Amino acid sequence: MDFSWTEQQLKFRERVKSFIAANLPENWEEIAHGPGSSEQTEFAKTFCGRLADEGLLVPHWPVEWGGEAADPWKAFILAEEMWKVGEPRGGQYMNVNWIGPILMKFGSQAQQRTYIPPMGRGESLWCQGFSEPEAGSDLASLRTKAELEEDGYRINGQKIWTSYAGDADTCFLLARTGSGKSGISIFLVPMDTVGITVRQIPSIIGEGDIHEVFFDDVVVPESARLGEEGQAWEIIGAVLSLERVGIPRFALARATLSRAIDLLKQSGRFTPSVIEQATRAKAACEAACLFSYRIIDQRAKQIPTGAEASVGRYSTVNCERLVAEFVVEHLPESLCGDYPMLLAHHQRGIVAGIASGAAEIQLNNIATQYLELPREPR
Amino acid sequence: MDLMLNKDQAAVQEAIEAIALDFSSSPSDFHGFALVSPELDKVLLENGFFEIATIPELGPVSAAVTVERLARLPYTAETALSMMLSHVLGEVERPIAVVDGLRPGRFVREAKTVIVVDDDRIGLCHPGPSEVEDRPDALYAYPMANLVSLDGVYWLSDAERDRIKTWLRIALANEMAGLLQGAIDATVAHLSIRKQFGRPLGAFQALRHRLAECTVLSEGVRWLAVKAAWSGDAGDAALAAYHAQDAATRVIYDVHQMSGAMGMTLEMDLHLWTYRMKALLSELGGRGGQAQAVGQHVFGV
Ligand SMILES: Cc1cc2nc3c(=O)[nH]c(=O)nc-3n(C[C@H](O)[C@H](O)[C@H](O)COP(=O)(O)OP(=O)(O)OC[C@H]3O[C@@H](n4cnc5c(N)ncnc54)[C@H](O)[C@@H]3O)c2cc1C
Repeated sequence: MDFSWTEQQLKFRERVKSFIAANLPENWEEIAHGPGSSEQTEFAKTFCGRLADEGLLVPHWPVEWGGEAADPWKAFILAEEMWKVGEPRGGQYMNVNWIGPILMKFGSQAQQRTYIPPMGRGESLWCQGFSEPEAGSDLASLRTKAELEEDGYRINGQKIWTSYAGDADTCFLLARTGSGKSGISIFLVPMDTVGITVRQIPSIIGEGDIHEVFFDDVVVPESARLGEEGQAWEIIGAVLSLERVGIPRFALARATLSRAIDLLKQSGRFTPSVIEQATRAKAACEAACLFSYRIIDQRAKQIPTGAEASVGRYSTVNCERLVAEFVVEHLPESLCGDYPMLLAHHQRGIVAGIASGAAEIQLNNIATQYLELPREPR
Repeated sequence: MDLMLNKDQAAVQEAIEAIALDFSSSPSDFHGFALVSPELDKVLLENGFFEIATIPELGPVSAAVTVERLARLPYTAETALSMMLSHVLGEVERPIAVVDGLRPGRFVREAKTVIVVDDDRIGLCHPGPSEVEDRPDALYAYPMANLVSLDGVYWLSDAERDRIKTWLRIALANEMAGLLQGAIDATVAHLSIRKQFGRPLGAFQALRHRLAECTVLSEGVRWLAVKAAWSGDAGDAALAAYHAQDAATRVIYDVHQMSGAMGMTLEMDLHLWTYRMKALLSELGGRGGQAQAVGQHVFGV
C-alpha cells in the first residue's frame, strides 16, 4: 500500500495549478458563485478552449479523440485542482467525465463525428435531461414519450431540475419508447429544435442553474437515438458510475474549510471549541478523499466498482455538509456575500445530498449491496 | 498511489485470516466482559506477528491491517500497542499498556511495559505485581487495572513523547476501526434474523439507513487509520484518532439501539466490541485531546 504520488503525478499537478493560476481572471471568485450562471458558462468556454490547447481538457480520452489515453489518476488530479478553485470548467465537466466517453462507447460514427470533436475543443455545453416532475429518485418512472413516426421520433413531455439547460447546445435526453426500464431510450437532441421551451427555476443555489424543459411535438431523426431502443438503462448505469466519483467535491470542501480557518485565525476566533468542529469537518473531508482515491485506484486497475461508490458518495455528502455548516456558524457573513468563494461552496455543498442520486438512495445501496441486509418489501 | 496491499502484506493478511478463523466465535458458556485469549496471544507471538511493523516489506501498514482484523474478533489480546509501537519503543518487553496517570487502563496487570500519559508528559514504567490494582468489576470488555503510584515512571524527552503519542493515536484508530466493524457485523447478523411485524428488522428502512451510515463512518475510520499508519504523520494520526472516537460515540449508541434488549444481554456478543470501544473513547484526551493535536499539527495553531 502506498499513498504517495509519483514524480510524474506531482509534476502534472503543478502544471495544472500553474495553468489555473495563469488563466483565472481576477474577478473569478465573483464569477464562481452558483454553478450554472451564464457568466460562468461563458467564461468556461474560453477557459476550456485554453485547457484544450494545452492538452489539459481531455488527457484521459483515447488518442484518436484528442486525448493521450492517460490513466484515471491523471483525470482525477486534474478534476481535484479544478474543484479546488470552484470548477472553472462549469458544465463542461460532464462532457469530459461521461458524455464524451459514453458517445465513444455507444455512439454511431456520425454522432461521434458531430459531437466529440467540439467537446474535445471545449466548445460545447450539454444538459442532462433525466429528472421529471414525477420521476426524481424513481427515475425509471419517467414519462416523456418518444414515438417513432415516419419522419423520426416525436417527443412530448417535461424535464425538470435540468442544469445548464438555458445555455446548452445539446440535451442528453431520456425518453420512453416502451414500458418499464427496458422501454427507455436515449436521444441526443439539439436544444434549438422547434418545440423545446426552457424556463429557469429561481433557487437558493444561484441564478441560472436549474430549469424546466418542455418538449412539445419535438421531432428528431432516428439517427438522434443513442444506442438501441430500450438500451438507456444499461447506458446510464455506466454514466452514473462515472459521475458518482468523477466529481471530487471534497477538494472544494477542503479548500473552503482551509479558507474559513484562515479567516477565523486572522480575527482571533479560532478557539478550542471551533477547532474541534473544524477537526470533525476536516476528518470527514479526508475520509471522503480516501474513498474517492480507493475507487480511482480500482478503476486504474480495472477492478469493477460496486457499492463502494455509494459509500464514497455518502461520505462526500457528510463532508460537504459539515463544511457548509461550519462556515454558516462561524462566518455567517459569507451568506451575505462577504467571501464569494465561501458562498460558492455553500451553493454547491447544499445540493451534494440531492443532485445525481439522493443520499438516501446511496444508503439503500449500501444496506443491500454492502451489508447484504434483507431487502425492503416492494 | 496504490491502495491495495502489496504481495507480502497480502500474504500476512491471508495468514491472519487463517488464525482468525479459530477465534471467530465466542464460547457459548461465556457471559462476561473481558474475553481474553492467551491462546491467541501465543499464536501471534509464535508466528512473529508482533514484529511485522519492523519488517521493511510489511511495515506499519501491515501491522495496522492486522490490528484491525484482530479487533473484529470476539476474543481479545494485547495486540494493538505491541504491533504498532514496537518500532517506536525499541527493545521493551510486551505486553504493553497505556494509562492516563492513575486512571485504569486495559491490560495494565498483564503489561511488562506501561506507557504513562500524564498531562503533557509521557513516561514508561515496568510495574511489579504490588504496584498494580485490579478493577475486576469494570464494564469494559478488556481486563482493567490501574497503577497505584507514578513513582517508578521514567519520563521521556519531548521528541520521544511526540513520536509515541502519534503512534498511540494510530494504534487506537486502527483498533477502533476493527471494533466498529465487529459491532456492525454483529448487528447485521442480528437484524437479518430477528423478525418483527412479519419481516426481518433489517428490511426496515429506518434501520437499514442507520446501519449504512454507521458503515460509512466505520469505513472512514479504517481508511484514515491505515493512511496514518502509512505516513506516521502526527496530523494524520490525530485526525484518524479523532474520527475514530467521534464515529464510535455514535455507532455504539446506534448498534445497541438497533439490537433491542438482546443487545443488553451478555448472551449477545455486541458488548464485547462496544465496551472495548468505550474503553478507547477517553484515551489520549478523548475527542478534545485529538482536536487539540489536529489544531497543532494540521491547522498550525
Ligand atoms: C442542483 C441540482 C442540479 C440537478 N441537475 C440535474 C440535471 O442536470 N439533470 C437531471 O436530470 N436532474 C438534475 N437534478 C435532479 C436530481 O437528479 C434529483 O433531484 C435527484 O435524483 C432526486 O430527485 P428529487 O429531487 O425528485 O427527490 P425525491 O426523489 O422526491 O426525493 C426526496 C427525498 O426522498 C428521498 N427518497 C426518495 N425515494 C426514496 C426511497 N426509495 N427510500 C428512501 N428515501 C427516498 C430522497 O432520498 C430525498 O431525501 C438536479 C438536482 C439538483 C438539486
